[in-house]
Amino acid sequence: MSEIWTHESKRRDFLKMSAAAGAASTGLLALPTQAAGAPVNFHTWSAAVDTVKSHLTAFEAKSGIKVNYSNSPWAQYRDTMVTKFVGNAPLDVMWVSDSWLPEWADAGWLAPVDGYPELMKYNADVEDFATKSMMYKGKQYGLTYYSDYMGFFYDQDKLQKAGIKRPPQTWDEVVQQSLQIKKAGLCEYPLMLSMARESWLIEFLTAMVYSNGGRFVDDSGKAVMQDRQKGAHKALQWIVDAVNKHKIVSPACVEIGELNGLKSYTSGNHAFAMLGRYRVRTLNDPKQSSIAGHVKQGLMPAGPGGSHATVGWMRFYGMTAQAAADKARAANAVKLIEWFGGKAEGQYKFQKMVFTDVGAGFSVKELFKDPDVKSSYAKYSDIAMYEQQQQLARKKDVISRWFGEWDEVNGSAWQAAIIGKSSVADALKKSAEAWNDLRH
Amino acid sequence: MRNPVAALRSALRHPVSAYDQKSAMWLLTPMVVVLMIVAVFPVVYSFWISLYDLKLTRPHRVPFVWLGNYLKVFQDPLFWDSVARTFSFTVMSVAAIMLIALLMALLLNEEFRGRRVLSAILLIPWAIPYVANGLMWKWIYDSGYGALNGLLLQLGLIDKYIVMLGDVDKTLGLITNAFVWKEVPLATILLLVTLKSIRADLYSAAKVDGANVWQRFVHITLPALVPGFALVMIYETMMAIRHFDLFFILTEGGPAEASHVLAWQVYVETFRKLSFGTGAALAYIMAIVTFTLAFFIIRSTSRKL
Repeated sequence: MSEIWTHESKRRDFLKMSAAAGAASTGLLALPTQAAGAPVNFHTWSAAVDTVKSHLTAFEAKSGIKVNYSNSPWAQYRDTMVTKFVGNAPLDVMWVSDSWLPEWADAGWLAPVDGYPELMKYNADVEDFATKSMMYKGKQYGLTYYSDYMGFFYDQDKLQKAGIKRPPQTWDEVVQQSLQIKKAGLCEYPLMLSMARESWLIEFLTAMVYSNGGRFVDDSGKAVMQDRQKGAHKALQWIVDAVNKHKIVSPACVEIGELNGLKSYTSGNHAFAMLGRYRVRTLNDPKQSSIAGHVKQGLMPAGPGGSHATVGWMRFYGMTAQAAADKARAANAVKLIEWFGGKAEGQYKFQKMVFTDVGAGFSVKELFKDPDVKSSYAKYSDIAMYEQQQQLARKKDVISRWFGEWDEVNGSAWQAAIIGKSSVADALKKSAEAWNDLRH
Repeated sequence: MRNPVAALRSALRHPVSAYDQKSAMWLLTPMVVVLMIVAVFPVVYSFWISLYDLKLTRPHRVPFVWLGNYLKVFQDPLFWDSVARTFSFTVMSVAAIMLIALLMALLLNEEFRGRRVLSAILLIPWAIPYVANGLMWKWIYDSGYGALNGLLLQLGLIDKYIVMLGDVDKTLGLITNAFVWKEVPLATILLLVTLKSIRADLYSAAKVDGANVWQRFVHITLPALVPGFALVMIYETMMAIRHFDLFFILTEGGPAEASHVLAWQVYVETFRKLSFGTGAALAYIMAIVTFTLAFFIIRSTSRKL
């Protein structure tokens, strides 16, 4: 195989041309560079749009810096952003998922923010897993927008009716209590697990793996998921048994996405559920849930030799390399990032607003003591449990440049084991081989 | 027939005719240019892309790999599995569409009360966009609250809700059913048009000769329907091979890889892995297979068209 494009500009031209068709239709091929003092271009996915807009209005009034705000749906966000990057669309600040950080940083689209002390000073206030989630190859790439983790929930009413006094502490207890609940005729499948092929799947799987004391990859980045002792074996075997042997999880779990799982749980079909922590607001909202008022958060059950650890995720404010290359643009971008990801007028205003408005989580530790946050959360859950579990959250160990490609193979492999089309060992071997192939 | 040489001489002798031809060419030029830009250029350029290892997330290294992407695709076992699944889906879909459409067309070819209303109702699935169709079937097939489970339970055919799309043995069949439901109306119309073109006196003559209903169907209707069948087969085969929407909405290629068809693989390579080179190669392979099949279908039925 020969490499005919040895000159950088030719390769870039080719990429630009490739992205042009898509970019042109959305007006992305606007001016590739900006003059100093020009508006900050800020792009997010379509979440908390009104909250973002109100905070932006305050920023513009306070700083005198104009911001061009735009957003696109989460489902198309990665594709949209990559097209923007390749098409060199004007962009300064955007929301970034920890899953895309290596890919975007290696491509040279994101700029590290280590060189801005006004941003780095906030690290001291943030949970460790959150800061680590924004780091790649020793550099930090942003400030927190929101972070959350996979939580374990139980319906206290059903547990009481089945004569269960305390929520399960281990995955073995989940099995025992589920069988007890089944026997009492309270529900057919006491545990709700969403195992459909979607972006949520890796979060569910990682939470299971961590709580069973396993890892997908070790600290050197080598696949260990297939290792019976250190890997994901116990977690996958538990799910396979839960579906096929104990029948406490529906065999339809492979077609149930996170949102459908949430609906199923709020309909009262299950006693236990694994869901994003922020879903507790919906679970206890009488307008949206038939089991409102009965749902409690428990610590993630531990597997044999495991712990109550869970997976946490991070969405953060990142700065583009094109903005960083221009001092004036970078200065404005940093101000915007600080206003949203750090303190605005001496307070973590935006994190607090997003939490109280839509229930999205935060990783700023001092907010757990904020009276408004505490009173807001007390309406639907227990903030002490929220904080306790968050301290046990860890970043995903599979975040890499090839994460997206591996995730396709891994998701299929786990599903194949769950539906009995593959053994647990074969599924994890396949997943590990794909990881190692992509890594080299 | 007029001699073409004489016709050319005549055209050259009469400037008005020559002027008209020239004008026509000028008038057609804008459309030719538009077609070149929106149709020919993308086709040629996507082939050019398929010769590069182009990955959008790796912008600094885009090697020219000749036919390397094609070789990579052919060496991937998942590709051959997806070819087999696409083949099953296509055969099941086209066979079901043709059979149901034939029965529907025969029914609608008869005069009976309510025929017009039935014809209008028949068009509804065709009028529903694919995405809406997919979402509707997702609700129908849901294993927890789906209408199909409810119906089967009420009919006493099952004693509790069963797994639908999550069951690898049912997945492809259920997607085929949704596809057939959407495609049958158009096929019915095409066959009905062909049926209407059969001369009534052929049936009268056959009746006089003592042919019964079955004999008239086999010896008059079926042979006359061959052009319609060929059209339906070509169109529906192409639609089935390239079909993506239902796979995206209903299963995303799962569970495991039970509905991982060729069109889904093109999507995964191009838009999830952002590997435009491999994605373009796959799309070309799919296009070549489709054209080849269409060619053989046309060739095998051409004498009867």
